[in-house]
Amino acid sequence: MNILLVEDDSDLAAYILRGLAESGHNVDHAARGDGGFELASKGHYDLLIVDRMLPGMDGLSLVKALREKESRLPVLFLSNLGGLDDRVEGLNSGGDDYLSKPFAFTELLARVNALLRRPHLAGQPTTIHVGELEMDLIKRRVTRAGREIDLQPREFALLEYLMRRPDQIATRTMLLEGVWDYHFDPKTNIVETHISRLRSKIGGDIIQTIRGSGYLIRAARTAS
Amino acid sequence: MRLGQLLKSASFKLTAAYVGLFSVSVGILAGLVYFSSTSQLQQTIRTRIVADSNALRAEYVHGGTDQLLQAISERQRGRLIGGLDYTLYDAKGKHLFGTLPAVPCKRGWVTFTGPPDGDEPSGEMEKLGVLVTPLTGGYCLLVGDDIGKIGKFGSLILDSFGWVFLLTVTMAVAGGFFLSSRVLRRIEAISRTAEAIIEGDISRRIPRREAPDDLDRLAATLNRMLDRTTTLMESLRHVSNDVAHDLRTPLGRLRHSLEEARRNALSPEEYRTAIDKAVSEVDSILDTFGAILRIAQIESGSRRTGFQDLLLSDLAMDVCETFAPSMEDAGKKLHTEVQHDLWIHGDRELLVQALANLLENAIAHTPADAAVTVALKRGRDGVNLSVADNGCGVPEAERERIFKRFYRLERSRTMAGNGLGLSIVAAVAELHGAKISASDNQPGLKINIAFPAIA
Repeated sequence: MNILLVEDDSDLAAYILRGLAESGHNVDHAARGDGGFELASKGHYDLLIVDRMLPGMDGLSLVKALREKESRLPVLFLSNLGGLDDRVEGLNSGGDDYLSKPFAFTELLARVNALLRRPHLAGQPTTIHVGELEMDLIKRRVTRAGREIDLQPREFALLEYLMRRPDQIATRTMLLEGVWDYHFDPKTNIVETHISRLRSKIGGDIIQTIRGSGYLIRAARTAS
Repeated sequence: MRLGQLLKSASFKLTAAYVGLFSVSVGILAGLVYFSSTSQLQQTIRTRIVADSNALRAEYVHGGTDQLLQAISERQRGRLIGGLDYTLYDAKGKHLFGTLPAVPCKRGWVTFTGPPDGDEPSGEMEKLGVLVTPLTGGYCLLVGDDIGKIGKFGSLILDSFGWVFLLTVTMAVAGGFFLSSRVLRRIEAISRTAEAIIEGDISRRIPRREAPDDLDRLAATLNRMLDRTTTLMESLRHVSNDVAHDLRTPLGRLRHSLEEARRNALSPEEYRTAIDKAVSEVDSILDTFGAILRIAQIESGSRRTGFQDLLLSDLAMDVCETFAPSMEDAGKKLHTEVQHDLWIHGDRELLVQALANLLENAIAHTPADAAVTVALKRGRDGVNLSVADNGCGVPEAERERIFKRFYRLERSRTMAGNGLGLSIVAAVAELHGAKISASDNQPGLKINIAFPAIA
């Protein structure tokens, strides 16, 4: 996948470039906002990673300008502001996701992959199948191999989040944001306890833990 | 006070503009009165002359020159000041009566200037408005009156207006000076206070007056603003002190462990362990920074613009549901006593974090098998949210201090945490205009947040 990184901090940029290249992505880099805007409006990229504060043109303006040109390029904001309103501002200006610096690389990678795999046409399926699991979004019912599983609303939402993104790692922060709408970092292991309760209901083999990253559900499980 | 400053002051300019407007309107009024009075007077004089001329012509038609002359002499005999002038001459210009010079005898008005007759201002000539009336037989009758008195009357009017005008302008200018110097003195007081504050005397306030007026209200508002600024500055100073102090410890620890690794680590595994330790130390420092920034943002009050009416009952139940499994895993019980349908005006995200922090505190600082109760009830004038545990509680002397930044009880110093959790809760409560208090739960600690009712 072709990714454009617009970041003026050269150390951080090198760190991100190296990491994404190791994960098999093709990354271009611009250190200035105006240069980044030119590249983004000309080049054929699948994802834009952009810092909020940049010389030449700040990240918000860059993304706003792109959206005015009808660009649907997925955008991930990076910011060391980490403030309460900055996330909302970033999303309002046309960003698709927001990550506060400093971040673990696994967190960035998980979000990059989630944005790259996001279906462009947001279909509204009524049922989701992953392996033996079947989720009926209208009746709010989950079955495994035809056997119904009784889930709490939060467990249902958690499972839905993972089933909608098969084979993609969801980090703890992504789950807190996506399932709970929590935008702070609880000290308590609430994600872990909910996952473990969910596992005990649907069977321990479905949700996999990726050490140091997060959780995922595999679409086609290899017989093992 | 310098004159230049006075002349430039807003109130003086206002006075000047007012005086200017007043002058123009007085001028217009004087002109109107002048023209309407003089033309009225002229009209009256002419009407009188026309009527008298007609009466004399009637005498002539009735009785010829003899009767006419007799009528004129009768009028002349009774003449007082203000009476009319009469002259009669025949076709050859020979005067039968009167002294006005002969003019071509055609009906109409003529004006003569003649020697003064005593009632003119010195040096001015007598002005006569004369009606010429031709009579049959070539006689010519002239009837006239002094029209100089019209001008005299007019200038009397203008003089009076002039005096009134002069007096008023003098008073207005004097009043303007007086008022503006008073206002300027008070503005001077405000600016002197501001100067003193800029110089560093932050405790200075603008002097107030007994009788509150606009300027006094302004002074009160400015004083309140200064109070607020002082509080913010104080808290900023506290925070910088606290931050510096509290970050030295973990940074020192970090440095120590890195040095230790450089000196003693031999295998890649040992290096990895050292790095992991350093990363988690850095993470906790970053965490502290994040919490400090968040408190600062909450205290800035900017989030208030996004306040909405929200169902606190649902929010509380939601957070409790989220934390219940973790609590259970820690061997503790979570009870909820949440009344339905309780609304407040606030920020969902921050309220969730506040309640989460309270629950996390209750999990972290109570012994195993403790019970935690989250209660949401309608209070006397608002909504009360409380989190209570039956742990070891907090000594009474320290109860107020637990909301302060970086404050940690002696027994929890060794545990993870940065002493900012309750500060965030307190900041959130303050942002919502809520009162936060800590009390003895007998045994244990009870934190109560009393939210005001929706306005």
